[in-house]
Amino acid sequence: MNILKGKIKTIKSSGSLSLVTIDIQGIFFSTIILETPSTASYLIPENQIKVIFKETEVIIGKDIEHAISIQNKIAGKILEIKKGDLLSKLTIETRIGRLIAVITSDILYQLQLEINENIIAMVKTTEIMLSE
Amino acid sequence: MDWEPLLLTFKLALVTTLLLLVISIPLAYWLAYTKSRIKPVLETLVSMPLVLPPTVLGFYLLIAFSPSNTFGNWLNEYFGLQLIFSFEGLVIASILYSLPFMVHPIQAGFSNLSSTIIEASYVLGKSKIITLFKVLLPNIKPSLLTGIVLAFAHTIGEFGVVLMIGGNMPGKTKVASIAIYDEVESLNYDAANWYSLILFIITFSILLIVYLVNGGYLKRFWK
Amino acid sequence: MIHIALQKKLTAANGTMLLDININIEQGKLVTLYGESGAGKTSIFRIIAGLLHADKGIITVHQNTWLDTDKGICLKPQQRKIGFVFQEYALFPNMTVKENLLFALEKGQDRQIIKELIDIIELGELQNRKPKNLSGGQKQRVALARAMVRKPEILMLDEPLSALDTKMRAKLQDYILKIHKQFNLTTLLISHEIGEVIKMSDHIFSIKNGKVVKQGKPIDVFSTKQVSGKFQFSGEIIEIKKEDVIYVITILIGANFVKIVADETEAQTMAIGDKVIVASKAFNPLLQKIN
Repeated sequence: MNILKGKIKTIKSSGSLSLVTIDIQGIFFSTIILETPSTASYLIPENQIKVIFKETEVIIGKDIEHAISIQNKIAGKILEIKKGDLLSKLTIETRIGRLIAVITSDILYQLQLEINENIIAMVKTTEIMLSE
Repeated sequence: MDWEPLLLTFKLALVTTLLLLVISIPLAYWLAYTKSRIKPVLETLVSMPLVLPPTVLGFYLLIAFSPSNTFGNWLNEYFGLQLIFSFEGLVIASILYSLPFMVHPIQAGFSNLSSTIIEASYVLGKSKIITLFKVLLPNIKPSLLTGIVLAFAHTIGEFGVVLMIGGNMPGKTKVASIAIYDEVESLNYDAANWYSLILFIITFSILLIVYLVNGGYLKRFWK
Repeated sequence: MIHIALQKKLTAANGTMLLDININIEQGKLVTLYGESGAGKTSIFRIIAGLLHADKGIITVHQNTWLDTDKGICLKPQQRKIGFVFQEYALFPNMTVKENLLFALEKGQDRQIIKELIDIIELGELQNRKPKNLSGGQKQRVALARAMVRKPEILMLDEPLSALDTKMRAKLQDYILKIHKQFNLTTLLISHEIGEVIKMSDHIFSIKNGKVVKQGKPIDVFSTKQVSGKFQFSGEIIEIKKEDVIYVITILIGANFVKIVADETEAQTMAIGDKVIVASKAFNPLLQKIN
């Protein structure tokens, strides 16, 4: 699990859904959740909150910056690579902390990812959970 | 052969056992469940007849019951009870002498019962007395049987206490064990042999029945 | 309303412990005392039942005082209208199932209740058997029925299902809930099975070292962190297996197994037997109709 600490910035609700923006040391992450301020007591702007997502949900981008439907992006540097038969684990250093990403070993070779390489780590808004 | 000593022996054993049962159930119940500090003292007293020479017990009872003594005199004056050289005296002495044989199995039976079934009965609103008769006693039948039989058999076998306090009065205190001694003294081995053989067979049968029943061999008869 | 305030010094395996609780229980609710063994749950039960004396305390049940140490009031167990189901069943071995129930009748009470209970708890076929000829689950059903004969004001269940297998347990939970609703009882349950607690209780008191450390609705008590995942279950870890660079953790939720992928750093903090919450975003699970 990747856990980042941040502060709730904005909450946009519609029906029972909310789009929450969290400020993590100046980087903004968004998440869509099936809660509203009336059902979840922690949904208050400026509230300290933990942003949680699984390492298997982290997407790695390299080189070219093209338009992509993923809101949450953070630049980082690969610190460590642990290669497995099918899956590989990357430890990524970013300005908001270390992240772990588990990707297939195939794509690791295809992208020729190496230690110290600069990459972009991305997480879909629907994959992020919040916790007090 | 004179049957009187044998009949007297069984009469004594029967009366003693019945009275012992009545005394031992509350006593064993108290010993099994009390947290009192005097419990060890009482347990020791109950067990004393196991190790004390019967003559010691008989001697002290003889002193205590003697009409020349305050206690004996008091008994005689207020109850008209003459406890030495009498059947009543024998019964009291036998009760004391066989007490551990009745109390110990019953106490062990109580202690082995799970305390939760007692508590279960209490929370169902049942008093201690109802719990004792409906729950506890029916569940320690084998212990009760053991106690009854051991006390009965032990009373049949007593000699020292009886001799001390009862003496050798035909029809009153001359029980089988005394009679055997008597016959041997007068070199009447034939009669001594008959008494001995009968006692042997009867006590053997009684004990055999206990082991059969408690071992579950005769379950059909004890339900 | 039931008010229970108790203090008692208990001697536990590791020294003395002060039992000190002050709780209110609403009538008609099923309330669970949850906590590790040795936390003092059973002692609380025994004090409520009058089987154990408190050093200091007050117990009032619907305006009746059962215990008030300051005023010297302490009702005997016989005078407190409770149904108590013990962990080890505590059936009377000398009586048949039916006799066990009949024994519980109060003087002059209508025997109809016995018939009713035999029907509800489905003991018809067992009624002439002795306890030693019953399975664990059957014994506990009899114990439950017996506890109900007096129509108690409080039904207390001390880890009633801990000796039973999962399937039997689920069945008995249903019997207990049925009885609880049908007789409009106030029921106190001791359990350390999170799944069971969540399924059964309206309210939980989490007990640790003789004190209430947390209370509330089951889901609030057990989701230590309020996670926004809408897809949440509690379960127990059955297996932890390293596969490739990740770990696969098998978790028993109710009667179902699920497998969850975890990272090494998480897997290291977990052990087989740990209770965990499995949470996911409501966006991820797929739904497929089965016919």
